[in-house]
Amino acid sequence: MTHWFHKMAGRTRRLANYTTGEMAETEQGRMRALLAACPACRREVEAYRLLFATLQTSPRVTLTPGEAAAFWPSVEGRIQQGATPATPPTRPSLRERFWDHPRLSLVSAAAAIVLVLGLTLGPMVGRGPGTHGSDGAEVISVEAGENTSVMLFQAPDSSLKVIWVFEAPSS
Amino acid sequence: MGGPEEPEDDWNLVESAKRGDRNSFGTLVRRHQDRMFNLAYQITHNREDALDIAQEAFAKAFASLQHFKGEASFATWLHRIVVNLAIDCLRRKQRGGGTSYDDTRGDPEGQKAVLFAPDDPAGALEAKQVRALLARGIGELPPAQRAVLVLREIEGMTYEEIARTVGCTLGTVMSRLFYARRRLRRALAGHRVDLR
Repeated sequence: MTHWFHKMAGRTRRLANYTTGEMAETEQGRMRALLAACPACRREVEAYRLLFATLQTSPRVTLTPGEAAAFWPSVEGRIQQGATPATPPTRPSLRERFWDHPRLSLVSAAAAIVLVLGLTLGPMVGRGPGTHGSDGAEVISVEAGENTSVMLFQAPDSSLKVIWVFEAPSS
Repeated sequence: MGGPEEPEDDWNLVESAKRGDRNSFGTLVRRHQDRMFNLAYQITHNREDALDIAQEAFAKAFASLQHFKGEASFATWLHRIVVNLAIDCLRRKQRGGGTSYDDTRGDPEGQKAVLFAPDDPAGALEAKQVRALLARGIGELPPAQRAVLVLREIEGMTYEEIARTVGCTLGTVMSRLFYARRRLRRALAGHRVDLR
């Protein structure tokens, strides 16, 4: 039987936040009641607890005595060779940028595909006799992500397409 | 006068180093080298890379010292340089054909079963298996997600501290952390916690 909670958006985030103590107190009581009734959710919380405990107890590494003794002389050598000032990291690859915001990336890709199809196929669709154009802009497509919505409009009696992106302010 | 969050010793040493006192900078290096080496290792999980990154970070910090105004602590500033260099290192390696996350060479004394009691050999074995699964999962994370995960779960930084260290918005930190945690959770799929 699929528990109703499994259908909720953000289920994974809520379970992880509960495990790390980042869930608001007002929600915690409800979560505890849920866990009492849902074995699958309890397994999920236990898995997250194991995951976080393992990460937080990762063995700390230290320099060996030889490495420690040679560290500052090595740094001095780099300084004398002319170390360059610190700079931001290199630009991430497209794949990495996708994984920063996968939902937004998919929505953007979908909107781009719709736009291209609209621009290329739109002119091929003619109006037959007796049809009437709309008085206002026509909504062609709407896609909603977690924090962002994308709407594609077409101007009346025109092939002009407009993409509007609505982004919720980050908390 | 020191910066708002600066231990007085670090701030005085920074000011001396700015005036050309190389020995003061050497003191700063010896004070922070272990911590920066550990941070670089936790992100790259490669001892040689971590050593190179930590040394390069201090050299770059020296070259950038005149730009350090004390808005954050010297250690926080160093964190940022180390994290950026570690991310660059991982990206270079990915472009060159993949990275690995070797969880066996970092600790010269071998893996410790810190999750279970010393007289719990089954627990010790399980801890080793879990670490191996997570090591593989972490190795598959994109560099930026890996860095955020390390800063949060291992270094214990707040979201705001991570955002300042990595140089991104709070929303991006939370997004990267969410996806990193979820991927690691999937890396544990099949472990006994899923088989009950």
